[in-house]
Amino acid sequence: MRYIPSTEEQQKEMLKGIGVSSFEELITSIPEEVRLKRRLKLPPALSEQELEEEIAHIAQKNADFYSIKPLVGAGAYRHFIPEAERALLQREEFWTCYTPYQPELSQGTLQAIFEFQSHISRLTKMEVVVPSIFDGASATAEAALMALRLTHKDKIIISSLLHPHYQEVLKTYLEPHNITIVKLPFQNGLTSVDMTRQFLDDNTAAVLIQSPNFWGGIENIPGIAEITHNHKALLIQVIVEAMSLGILKSPGNMNVDIVAGSTQSFGLDLNFGGPYNAFLATKREYIRQLPGRIVGETRDKEGKRCFVMTFRAREQDIRREKATSNMCTNHNLNVIAADMYLSLLGTQGLYQYSLLNFKKAHFLKEKLLNSGKFSKSFSYPYYNEFLINYHGDIKSLQERLIENNFLPPLLVTQFYPEEQFKQSLLFAVTEIFSRAELNYITDLLSQ
Amino acid sequence: MKLIFEKSIPGRIGFSLPQDLFEDVRWEDSIPKEYLEHDKKPLTEVSEIDVIRHFTKLSKYNYGVDDGLYPLGSCTMKYNPRINEKMSNLANFVYAHPLSPPAMVQGSLEIMYRLNEMLCEITGMEQYTMAPASGAHGELTGILVMRKYFIDLGEKRNKVLIPDSAHGTNPASAAMGGFNVVEIKSNENGTVDLESLSQAMDDHTVGLMLTNPNTVGLYDEGIINIEKIVHSKGGLLYYDGANLNASLGIIRPGDTGFDVVHLNLHKTFSTPHGGGGPGSGVIGVKNKLIPYLPTPVVAFDESSNSYYFKDVGEKSIGMVRSFWGNFSVLVKTLAWILSLGPDGLLQCSQASIINANYVLAKLKQYYRPAYDRYCGHECTLTGREYKKYGIKTLDIAKRLMDYGLHPPTIYFPHFEPYAEETIMIEPPESEGKEVLDDFIKIMINIAQEAKEKPEILTSAPHRTPISRADDVLAVKRPILTYDDELKLKDELGYQEKDIKF
Repeated sequence: MRYIPSTEEQQKEMLKGIGVSSFEELITSIPEEVRLKRRLKLPPALSEQELEEEIAHIAQKNADFYSIKPLVGAGAYRHFIPEAERALLQREEFWTCYTPYQPELSQGTLQAIFEFQSHISRLTKMEVVVPSIFDGASATAEAALMALRLTHKDKIIISSLLHPHYQEVLKTYLEPHNITIVKLPFQNGLTSVDMTRQFLDDNTAAVLIQSPNFWGGIENIPGIAEITHNHKALLIQVIVEAMSLGILKSPGNMNVDIVAGSTQSFGLDLNFGGPYNAFLATKREYIRQLPGRIVGETRDKEGKRCFVMTFRAREQDIRREKATSNMCTNHNLNVIAADMYLSLLGTQGLYQYSLLNFKKAHFLKEKLLNSGKFSKSFSYPYYNEFLINYHGDIKSLQERLIENNFLPPLLVTQFYPEEQFKQSLLFAVTEIFSRAELNYITDLLSQ
Repeated sequence: MKLIFEKSIPGRIGFSLPQDLFEDVRWEDSIPKEYLEHDKKPLTEVSEIDVIRHFTKLSKYNYGVDDGLYPLGSCTMKYNPRINEKMSNLANFVYAHPLSPPAMVQGSLEIMYRLNEMLCEITGMEQYTMAPASGAHGELTGILVMRKYFIDLGEKRNKVLIPDSAHGTNPASAAMGGFNVVEIKSNENGTVDLESLSQAMDDHTVGLMLTNPNTVGLYDEGIINIEKIVHSKGGLLYYDGANLNASLGIIRPGDTGFDVVHLNLHKTFSTPHGGGGPGSGVIGVKNKLIPYLPTPVVAFDESSNSYYFKDVGEKSIGMVRSFWGNFSVLVKTLAWILSLGPDGLLQCSQASIINANYVLAKLKQYYRPAYDRYCGHECTLTGREYKKYGIKTLDIAKRLMDYGLHPPTIYFPHFEPYAEETIMIEPPESEGKEVLDDFIKIMINIAQEAKEKPEILTSAPHRTPISRADDVLAVKRPILTYDDELKLKDELGYQEKDIKF
């Protein structure tokens, strides 16, 4: 086997060196009766060439997704990824290494994480950034747990326009802890601020609002922050489409206490749903309640600036059951990917890309409305996703789009079964669509 | 070295824009002004070559498996085959949106379906969920599944038993699942003390979380009795798969009575660690626990001859992450299993066990083992003999770097009286004999140095991009972003040589 270098001869020498005559002598502590006494029932080993053909054959059973541009986002957005990032990520030193427990051999990883924290801090205007939780959903759940630890209260209020998967995951994580979860209704495509005021009380640990929300709507975060803080509760802003951070007001400038943000849009492929990454960003005063790893700057013995994992006393390998979280392996390589992506885009690029997403989504929505086949679901400010009602047969719309190499928008009834949404479609439009394509889509859907 | 921010020069760009910027869209009218940031957010201004050189240099300040031996115990730092990377990067997989209609993602679903079948066979379990993103995430998922099972039975069980040698994630995951943790002491053989286990195991106990071989690298010879003790009280046995690399084709957790198993695909199954992830911590369960798994799982419909996502049902614990799993990691795992086949998997565990015992045999007279017996795929030595020379295990680890190697895991596991100043070495099957011989020689050299010139250890490493980093300072004077540093600019007073190297 090409992945196992020692030859049979060498293994014999090693056994001799150990002082045994057979491999069996090494595993006598495994009781005979529980050993596997047969060969595993698996297909025989494939050569590399056979393997390549086999997996390529399976991949062929998928659609040709490279050529199919998605009009669906809903938590997973196709953005363009610069080749410089893809090429740099091929450097084995970034991906064949372990968690940077030994800083002297891990400055590459550690500095890239520190840079990512710095980037996110500037984008969110928050002081402290946990670079890596698995995804936006688990980060949202970790943010809620953190708020519960900070406030010692037992009620969480969430927007019904929080991504439905995120709602599910939050429920799963909080289930063992006797926490009341109250769901805020929506009003005209946004979370109802009036109802937020009504539901808030002094037992409320946190209010969780996604903005832009599941329907792309930009929420009145400053307004919700004010009433949340009146009850000494914390406001958690969830960001699923990080591209929005390029132009939208930073959470830190809207009095948000904790941000849980997916960074899938920062240089990560769709990959059928994972692996993605998410950050938590918050105020410095909450640092000891943060879950997961964080990197800090320090000096080495000669005074050189260097980077280490820090505030480790919160973590599971030290605190065990008293740790702030069980997080160990996270999605670090995707942090490095995002650092590369943000470095390439920089100040100007992120702004321009972010704005283009906004403009293209608004361009398409306007066109669809003008076609006469669609009508507004709501009048609301939105970013690069919008909900719209279609007057024709949805199945045929989906077929027409797929035939023309577009992945159809999301039919929201799978998450919001209310009668009013029977004809509602959630479109996502990113920078990858050209004007010609958006015109073509409009023509297709106007027939 | 310099941060990307310090390389920024106003006016430089590293991106390209399409010609059509949709300047005819009157976007300002569509959004209240107060929702927009007034100025552009300051990131960096660098060109593409600046970014390429920056990260290329950063990469050179790292050490990966491709650079040499990486013998971290309980981490299974084995070779990450290139072909697996290529397979997971096929465009049809990479660009697949998770909410695509099932008919368009039959290939992706087949990967998940076939992987489930193979993992079930390898571990003796009956159904896997591909959802968990890491080992600890798998533990939490498993704990929640066990919790839901007992709620469904109407039983009130509030504690989880965990050996003192367990990974820190075990107790942390149990606590996140709302349980109290009861620690079970190890006996003089380094394995679970059956008497303590019997005393602690009652009908208010969910069960036991166990790694086998355990975190000192020892197979628990009492496994049959452990199973009886836990199951006789109606409890469940949880298998932490961190150390499965010692078991492929030899012993299956399912056959030893484990009810829940998590696998670290980034350990045993060769997918890369990525400097701390992404990996995958899929969990497998026995039939009685399938109804509680996270939803959905991939199933096959005979009548339409197609794969689909099946809702697990109302007893499911719900979702533990958005979408379905760390898909690209699953492709690599399947590719690895297909490359090895049943015989290759067995050889893999055999080779790793021989490797670890070889290192143990050659080094035990220099670094007293925590337990003097044959080990599984990793061995636990200690540096305690060198305390009298003023040498800590940390110094030994740092000195190894001067010889161009990554150190083993140190100070884990840690429990008195056996396991202190521990050096846990895991030389996976992808390390050949001559690599181990070099390592052994170097470790013996270091043992000599510890006695003769200890200062060369205490001042190590000498040949790395930085010398020892001040962890205490990092906490005392927290600098967590570049802006934090800028605020302290005068106090820090960095010279050019301090940041440019």
